[in-house]
Amino acid sequence: MNDGGEHPLDLRGRSYLVTGAASGIGRATAVRLSRLGARLICSDLEVPGLEETLGGLRGSGHIARPFDLRNVDAVASWLGEACSSFGQLNGFVHAAGVPCVCPVKGLGLDRLREVILVNAESGFALAKAFVNPRTFAGSQGSIVFISSVMSLVGSAASAGYAMSKGALNSLTRALALEYANRKIRVNAVAPGFVKTPMFDKTSAGWDDEQRRRVEALHALGFGEPEDIANAAAFLLADESRWITGTVMVVDGGYSAQ
Amino acid sequence: MEKTGFYEALAEILEVEKVGDADVLREFDAWDSLTKLSIIALADSDYRTVLTAKDLDGIATVGDLKDRLEKNGQ
Repeated sequence: MNDGGEHPLDLRGRSYLVTGAASGIGRATAVRLSRLGARLICSDLEVPGLEETLGGLRGSGHIARPFDLRNVDAVASWLGEACSSFGQLNGFVHAAGVPCVCPVKGLGLDRLREVILVNAESGFALAKAFVNPRTFAGSQGSIVFISSVMSLVGSAASAGYAMSKGALNSLTRALALEYANRKIRVNAVAPGFVKTPMFDKTSAGWDDEQRRRVEALHALGFGEPEDIANAAAFLLADESRWITGTVMVVDGGYSAQ
Repeated sequence: MEKTGFYEALAEILEVEKVGDADVLREFDAWDSLTKLSIIALADSDYRTVLTAKDLDGIATVGDLKDRLEKNGQ
């Protein structure tokens, strides 16, 4: 634990994987963790964004490993290969995800399955692969899934997205108990609306009135990616050592009403 | 990009048996904000086209919508 001389969220000597690191919450998380001293594997399928993220990280030894998480069957081999050159990890932040703002009547099963695949199944695959001895460093383990407040409160046109993020919440609780004896904590962060490229895509269909109405639901206004990155950093650091199986709501008051 | 099935998909979204090019979008009983969101999602998933609510307000008929999606999705 921190004795007062170090940053309370000191991550020096730790290594993590961050998915979805090419933009938004994933990028902000990578930047934040690097500033706390961590060494990172950054992943995304958007290579230019990934390289931009890598260029903005503090410290050395970070690597980029582009990967399409829709290939869930290949997650274990991809992660094992990445760690064979990078070294073992203390944990990961699964920030990769796809938006899905669509009423049920317009949501086909193929699209629903893709959303669940990228947002939830890939999280399961990462957690399963992570416990391999060639991947997990064996101490101070912490997994953080980026969920959504939509998994906790209802909203029209969010069925597919809510299902996928709700699955992450359930995975978080189950894994927290299953991995406790391996010294791996498992938590999730449930953001409200955060100003990211995904938000821009999500809100493209809104008119000005809708935008004002949604922002008004956040007592503190829309969030910034750094607000979520800070929560993820806390859940990785030793300051949160007695926290596991939680879904930490970081939503500017969205779900308080 | 999937152009076949446009009329079937739109009919399902508009909650009618079938639609034709001359049908006026805003005259459908189901024309509301959720229907607009469904069309925006259809544009994104099947045509890789970003359509805004404001864009939709400027599209009059089913045929106009099809033209817009196919033009943007090329």
